[in-house]
Amino acid sequence: MSVVARSDSVVDELQAILGADHVLTNKSSLFNRARVPAPFPVHRWDEHIPDIAVLPETAEQVAEIVKLANANKIPVVPRAGGTGLSDGAVPVVGGILLDVKRMNKILDIDLVDRTVTVQPGINMLKLNEELRRHGVIYPDDPASYPCSLVGGRIGTGGWSLIGARYGHTRDLVISMQVCLPTGELIEVGDGGGRKIRKSSTGFQLKQLFMGHQGSLGITTEATLELVPRPEAEFAAFFGYPDYETAYKSTGVLAKSGLASLAGVVLFDEWKVNYLRRDDEAYIPQPSELRCVVAVAAYGTLAETRPASQVIMAIGKDTGGNYLGDEVSQGDWASRHDRYATPLHGRTPEGQVVPMSWHCEDAAISYSALPMVREEWHAIAKRYVDDYGVFDDWGMFAYTNGAHKPWGDYLVEIDIGIWEQRLDDAMWDAWVQCKREITEVSLKYGGSITACHGSTREGDAEFVPREMGGGFDVMKKIKRALDPNNIMNPGKNCLDDAYED
Amino acid sequence: MFGFRLQAERPPEPRPVANGVVMRLDDVYEIDPDRMQIIAQQSMPVSDTLRIVDSRWEHLAWMHDHWADNVLSAEEEQAD
Repeated sequence: MSVVARSDSVVDELQAILGADHVLTNKSSLFNRARVPAPFPVHRWDEHIPDIAVLPETAEQVAEIVKLANANKIPVVPRAGGTGLSDGAVPVVGGILLDVKRMNKILDIDLVDRTVTVQPGINMLKLNEELRRHGVIYPDDPASYPCSLVGGRIGTGGWSLIGARYGHTRDLVISMQVCLPTGELIEVGDGGGRKIRKSSTGFQLKQLFMGHQGSLGITTEATLELVPRPEAEFAAFFGYPDYETAYKSTGVLAKSGLASLAGVVLFDEWKVNYLRRDDEAYIPQPSELRCVVAVAAYGTLAETRPASQVIMAIGKDTGGNYLGDEVSQGDWASRHDRYATPLHGRTPEGQVVPMSWHCEDAAISYSALPMVREEWHAIAKRYVDDYGVFDDWGMFAYTNGAHKPWGDYLVEIDIGIWEQRLDDAMWDAWVQCKREITEVSLKYGGSITACHGSTREGDAEFVPREMGGGFDVMKKIKRALDPNNIMNPGKNCLDDAYED
Repeated sequence: MFGFRLQAERPPEPRPVANGVVMRLDDVYEIDPDRMQIIAQQSMPVSDTLRIVDSRWEHLAWMHDHWADNVLSAEEEQAD
C-alpha cells in the first residue's frame, strides 16, 4: 500500500474534486476492485488491493485526478466493468483505482452521420436498448456483453463474437477523447475529425490508444459506429464425426465470401466432451458426434435468407450433420452465459468442484490449428494429471479477422482452475503451464492474445519477444507520454522503459 | 407466500440418462449426486426448478429479439 496515495492531503484533494461520496477507502470497495473473473491467486489477494477507489463523473474530473496523481507519482489503474480476462484492471502496486462506472451517459446520437458518442462507463446492452428505438445498433458483442463497458472494450482492444460481419472494437470506435498520463485531454481518431472513418492526416493515433490496457491514458469519451438493426439472425450448428472433417468444413465456411457471415467457430473433441458432460444441449447428442461447427449470420432479410441456404449447403456438403433449430438457436442465444452461470469443473476422479475459467486466447493461422491443438492438449494433460486442481475444458477456434474471416482464428483452450486449492506452488505451476502454452503460440507464428490482452503473468513476459523491435518503440512511447510511469504500472513489461 | 413444504415440492427420484447425468424432471439434466461429494447438491423445490427453466426460455427469446427482428429457421427454410 502506497503511503503517499492514502495521505490525508491526497484524500482531501480527491474529495475536493469528486465530493466525499465518490472517494472510497473502505475495505469492501477496495477488495471488490482488486480482481477480474480470470483465475486469480486468491491466497495473495492482499497484493492487489488499491489504496483508494474513485468514481468520477466527467472528463474534467478524470483530468484533475490524473494531474494530482502525476504530481505525486501515484499509480492510476483505470477500471470499467472489471470483466476482463487478462488482469488489465488488476492493480499491481496499489495506487488510485479509477472506476468509470458513473461515466455512463449517451452524449449524442447522430442518425445522419451514423454515430453515437458516449462516456466510457456505458454498457453495450444498455446502449443498444436505447438505440433500438432509432433502428440502429452498436454491434460490439463480446461474451461479456451484458456486463462489460465501452471503456474496458477500448482499453482491452476487444474482440467481438460477430466481428466477421461488423468488425471488432477497434473497427467500431471512430474517435475518442483521451486523458493523457499528464492530465491533458486530447482528441484522437482518423485524422482530426471526430466522425471521420478514414483519413491520411498525420499518424494513425487511434489504434495507439486502443488495447493499451490503461498504460497510456484513460478514454473519457468515445464516438462509435452505428449500423442498421439487423432484420434477420441465422445460426446453424453442425456435428461431425472427427476433427479433420470439422476443421476442413470450418475453412470452407469461413472462406464462403458471404458478407453477412458474422462468425464461424469450431469446437474440438475435448470441448464437445466437456459440453456433453455438463450442457443440456449436448448430453442427448449421439456418441458419434465428436466435433461441432457453429455459424452465425446477420443482416437484411434479402441477404441473410439466401446466405442461410448457402451455409446449410456448405455444412452438409462438407460432412456436417445439422443439429436442429433448438440447439442452433438456443446455443447461439446463450453465447454470453460464461458471465452469468456459476462455473464448475471436475477433479481427476470426476468429482464436481467450483472452478474459475482460464481462456487462453491466442491468434493462430488456420494452417497451424491442428498442430497447436495437439500440443496444447498435451501440455494441459500433464498439469491436470500432476496437480489435481486443473480441468481441460476443450478448445475452440473462432474466425478472427474483421470482415475477412478466413485467415486466422482466435484459439482458446479453456482450463478450469480450483482457486480454493491455490497456494504458491499451485500458482507457480499454473503460470508455468501458461508459459508452455504461450511458447506453442509463438512457435507457430501466432500472437499471444487475440482479445484479452497480454497483461497476465505467463503472458506479459513474452510481450518483448512477440513484438521484437517494436517493443523498443513501445517503451519510447510509454516514457514520452507517461514520464512518471503512473498509468497502470507493471503491465506489458513497460516498467522496462524506465530502467536506464 | 414465502415458505413452502419441501415434502410437497420434492422432485421425483432421479433416473440415469447418460454417464454421470440424471434426470428428475423432463428435459432438466442434473449431475449424478454421486459426483457431488465435495460440493453437496442443494435441495430445490420443484417450483423453483421450473421457474428457472421458464426464465431460461424467456432469456433466450429476449436475446434473439434484442439482436434482430427475425430469427431464421433452417428447418423451416428446408421444409419450404
